[in-house]
Amino acid sequence: MSDATTNMTPDPMLEAIVGPTPGQMLRKRIFGHQGLMIGVVVLSILVLVAIFAPLLAPHDPYAQSLMARMKPPVFLGGTWEHPLGTDHLGRDYLSRLIYGARVSLLIGLVAATISGVIGTAMGVAAGYFGGKVDAVVTYLINVRLAMPVVLVALAVVAILGGSLQVVIVVLGLLLWDRFAVVMRSSTLQVRGREYVAAAKAVGCSTPRVLMSEIMPNIANNLIVVMTLEMAHAILLEAALSFLGLGVQPPTPSWGLMVSEGKNMMLFEPWMVLIPGAVLFVLVLAINLMGDGLRDVTAPENRS
Amino acid sequence: MYNKGNNMTFKVKALGMAAAAVAMIAAGAVQANKADGVLNAAFTKELENVDSYFNSSREGVVLQRAIWDGLIYRDPATNEYKGNLATSWEWIDDTTLEFKLREGVTFHNGEPFNADDVVYTVNFVADESNGVKTQRNVNWMKSAEKIDDYTVRIHLKAAFPAAIEFLSGPVSMYPNEYYAKVGPSGMGLEPVGTGPYKVSKVVPGSHFVLEKNENYHDSPKGQPEIAKVDIRTIPDVNTQIAELFSGSLDLIWQTPADQAEKLSTMEQFTVANESTMRIGYLTLDAAGRTGEDNPFTKLKVRQAVAHAIDREALVGALLKGKSKVVSSACFPSQFGCEQDLTSYEYDPEKAKALLAEAGYPDGFSTDFYAYRDRDYAEAIASFLNAVGIDTNFNMLQYSALRELRMKEGTPVSFQTWGSYSINDTSAITSQFFKFGSLDDARDEEVRDWLNVADSATDPEVRKENYSKALKKIADQAYWVPMFSYNTNYVYTKEIDYTPTPDEVLRFTTMSWN
Amino acid sequence: MLNFILKRLGLAVLVAFTVSFISFSLMFLSGDPAAALAGETASDQDVEAIRVLYGFDRPMLVQYWDWLSSALVGDLGESYYFKLPVASLIAERLQVTMLLGLCGISFALLTAVPLGVAAAIRPNSIIDRVALFLSVAGQAMPSFWFGLILIVVFSIQFGILPPSGTSTWRHFIMPTIVLGYYAMPAIMRLTRAGMLEVLSSDYIRTARAKGASEFKVLFKHALRNAIIPVVSLAAVQMGFMLGGSIVVESIFALHGAGYLAWESIARNDLPTVQALILVFSLFYIVFTFLSDVLNAWLDPRMRAG
Repeated sequence: MSDATTNMTPDPMLEAIVGPTPGQMLRKRIFGHQGLMIGVVVLSILVLVAIFAPLLAPHDPYAQSLMARMKPPVFLGGTWEHPLGTDHLGRDYLSRLIYGARVSLLIGLVAATISGVIGTAMGVAAGYFGGKVDAVVTYLINVRLAMPVVLVALAVVAILGGSLQVVIVVLGLLLWDRFAVVMRSSTLQVRGREYVAAAKAVGCSTPRVLMSEIMPNIANNLIVVMTLEMAHAILLEAALSFLGLGVQPPTPSWGLMVSEGKNMMLFEPWMVLIPGAVLFVLVLAINLMGDGLRDVTAPENRS
Repeated sequence: MYNKGNNMTFKVKALGMAAAAVAMIAAGAVQANKADGVLNAAFTKELENVDSYFNSSREGVVLQRAIWDGLIYRDPATNEYKGNLATSWEWIDDTTLEFKLREGVTFHNGEPFNADDVVYTVNFVADESNGVKTQRNVNWMKSAEKIDDYTVRIHLKAAFPAAIEFLSGPVSMYPNEYYAKVGPSGMGLEPVGTGPYKVSKVVPGSHFVLEKNENYHDSPKGQPEIAKVDIRTIPDVNTQIAELFSGSLDLIWQTPADQAEKLSTMEQFTVANESTMRIGYLTLDAAGRTGEDNPFTKLKVRQAVAHAIDREALVGALLKGKSKVVSSACFPSQFGCEQDLTSYEYDPEKAKALLAEAGYPDGFSTDFYAYRDRDYAEAIASFLNAVGIDTNFNMLQYSALRELRMKEGTPVSFQTWGSYSINDTSAITSQFFKFGSLDDARDEEVRDWLNVADSATDPEVRKENYSKALKKIADQAYWVPMFSYNTNYVYTKEIDYTPTPDEVLRFTTMSWN
Repeated sequence: MLNFILKRLGLAVLVAFTVSFISFSLMFLSGDPAAALAGETASDQDVEAIRVLYGFDRPMLVQYWDWLSSALVGDLGESYYFKLPVASLIAERLQVTMLLGLCGISFALLTAVPLGVAAAIRPNSIIDRVALFLSVAGQAMPSFWFGLILIVVFSIQFGILPPSGTSTWRHFIMPTIVLGYYAMPAIMRLTRAGMLEVLSSDYIRTARAKGASEFKVLFKHALRNAIIPVVSLAAVQMGFMLGGSIVVESIFALHGAGYLAWESIARNDLPTVQALILVFSLFYIVFTFLSDVLNAWLDPRMRAG
């Protein structure tokens, strides 16, 4: 199954008999993979922060105080009242960052799920049925790839008005291409395997073959693409919000915070640096996790 | 590995690249300062067309005042009307104005200025089918008639006392032969006027270069001193400020309050602030256009909104400068803008009590709309949230919000209005309270008072009726007027300039220190 | 080969038409174009007059047909905002975007290929790890944030690079880095993977066995084979970058097509937005088509798929 292990062990049969079980091997690879571990730990922390935001946030993220605008963070001479300072309307920066984790993670998760469902359905159908279905799906993938994502998303959000729901749906409808491409080729590979032929031979219905034979065997790749697209969706939301056509204020979105902080960038650069850095860390963690998962499930293929 | 041939090619390529780089530096070098007489300024918005009849932005007005002249000129300091391209004028009757034109004036392309130019320009812009963008500026004129080479009459559609104001503002004179040939788009690309500056370069929307008109006539605008003005469109304020720091810009304007405040502490810049006629307000759906049972149809709810907002804090913390809290549905200096009327002080407890009396002890939730100044709108919405009016914030483009308001109305929206800089209440209150598609109050009494005030010739009658209308608007809290706007001008200490309150940059009154 | 090209061309044309229809209908759903056109100071009558003048009262398919048939002869209509032909407006703005795209892709190739090669020669070495880190960081870096940081550091702190504009080559340095960094990770990874694969092939072993110098093995034999997919990826990335330059152009105030697109969306300038979506799509379609043909020409196995 994997080149890396066959290179080291001359006889894979023997290895399978006397060596560690595949489960042990996988666990070893997971815990031995630095990037994956860093990604998982950081992401877990951010998820916990998002879940327990009401307990962790020192202030109401929406409470404004026009008399206490743009107070600096504590390490730049501010007070512990607002550890990371306040924004242009005097709202607590740390609290908004904490609640912002919810927005980013929600957008990433839901948008990637929507696009995952669309892309997987198309990719699996194309790979499994081939022929005309494949031709149509290939054509749709080409159409989708030809559309400039940022531009189309901006235009649609401008038309429909920005809100969390609109942004999520628009991104979900735009980011299915990689799912479709990967699921199509994975299905193509799996389709020819004996167990699929066997299932067909014993008279399993097509949906049954797809659900119980094909899907479990391409789930690895699905999860990898899912993480990468989550990161993609989070970055795009931030870019849209930055350009003023993403989620609506006063929702604490990190992209929106960078955009609002940008006005005072030359005088108060921390207002841009802090939310941008958090965004960077989140996306980095998700990507590390995705790359790591790909490495441990298909070690021969790091690209 | 390098054989001789390869080496040669490499050298030739390197030389070529170096030459290209040098050429680019030479071509692009923009040096800003007093030494070479070039003033570098920035616009924030892309100007759609330099032809002043085919744009509707401040940037357009700035260029219009530099490139073209009107028949009349209003001194921004004294508000006195002076002859510019006309030397004198008189009313023949209520709808006819006669002008004696200045002789010896030539357009930038050498075409002499005379009655034919005035007749052509007026007849062109007054014709609705030519599509002048802001019809209000020109649609009071019917036609123009040449009496002799230097005498013209302009015929009005109906009596219009503000004619002189418009002729000294947006109505400027174009060269007839050239304009007939190139039309608005040609004029936009290669503008030709009689003004103090001629245009040497236009890159649509992004770059404009003006050069001093050495043969400028003896105009009340004064003679230009700055030899060359180079204007680039830089949409981002940070970038503008960064360029100001690096010396590649000398002047920026419309700078937001926070940045202007920081810049004013730096010794190399002058920060001047002037008020503008624009006011910001909330309009509430008193007429129930979004639904009969809409909370804003209740007077107590509207009053609660007015009490919920700390307008002093908005002005003090966000707008700053010469902005003021306003309580009338007009700009205080406008004729007829009554100031002695109900004003609602900031009192969140009273707002909550009023909501409870109106039947909303736990508040309610509503859509809140805005189209500009997101931070102001957000701060206002936050004040409403604090008393229990849960706002669902919607930032729309101007056109989308306008369409929504015209078709269905909005429960509450943050709007602004600049009155076309016309110093009369008819330019604001009458625009919105006479049952037009943007009238959220639909109050017949107010409409009737405004109709009397708009058409009366006796100033006292006008004043009295505007006062009645404005008092009722305030009592009923149809609008919640918020504040007046201001504009910041930031320039290096090398420049001597005093901005005027009409939000127009005048290059002719600038000079090097 | 001809068959393959024709098939690809057919697909490309079909995709182009579909995109044109989607972009047209998207824009058609937008707010009242007449109100946008008329501007903030217009009265209701002004708006109505414009609605009739521009034919917004006609059925959508009629308007699409009109638009498409003139688009086919290069007439993309007139910008509502500038009142100038959209085609010439875009042609002028595209120069900046194309220049930026070329600089960006060159930067990406010039950094990614050497890094990828170095990483492949010594897998798991320091260089490999640095390269991997750079590429992972590049994928996670929000480009608007990266751009702002560069401005703060190089324009404000050190004052060595101009923050905006296009007048000299120095204005292009920061935008090039930001845009190029976006394409770098994918190219780097592909180069590395390609080199690893080629280096372990029989053919390289043979070359080594024959006593060819390591330098010759790497650059003459290995890189030449590994670079083919990289070139075609670069072509596709170029298509993406032109569409993605919208963020970079807005930060550095480059008056290119991306910036025009952003502004036009805000101004509801339908003909310009429609045309820009179409033009960016066409770029992508053309670049992808070229890369497909290039691939097929270099690698006959591809022609089947």
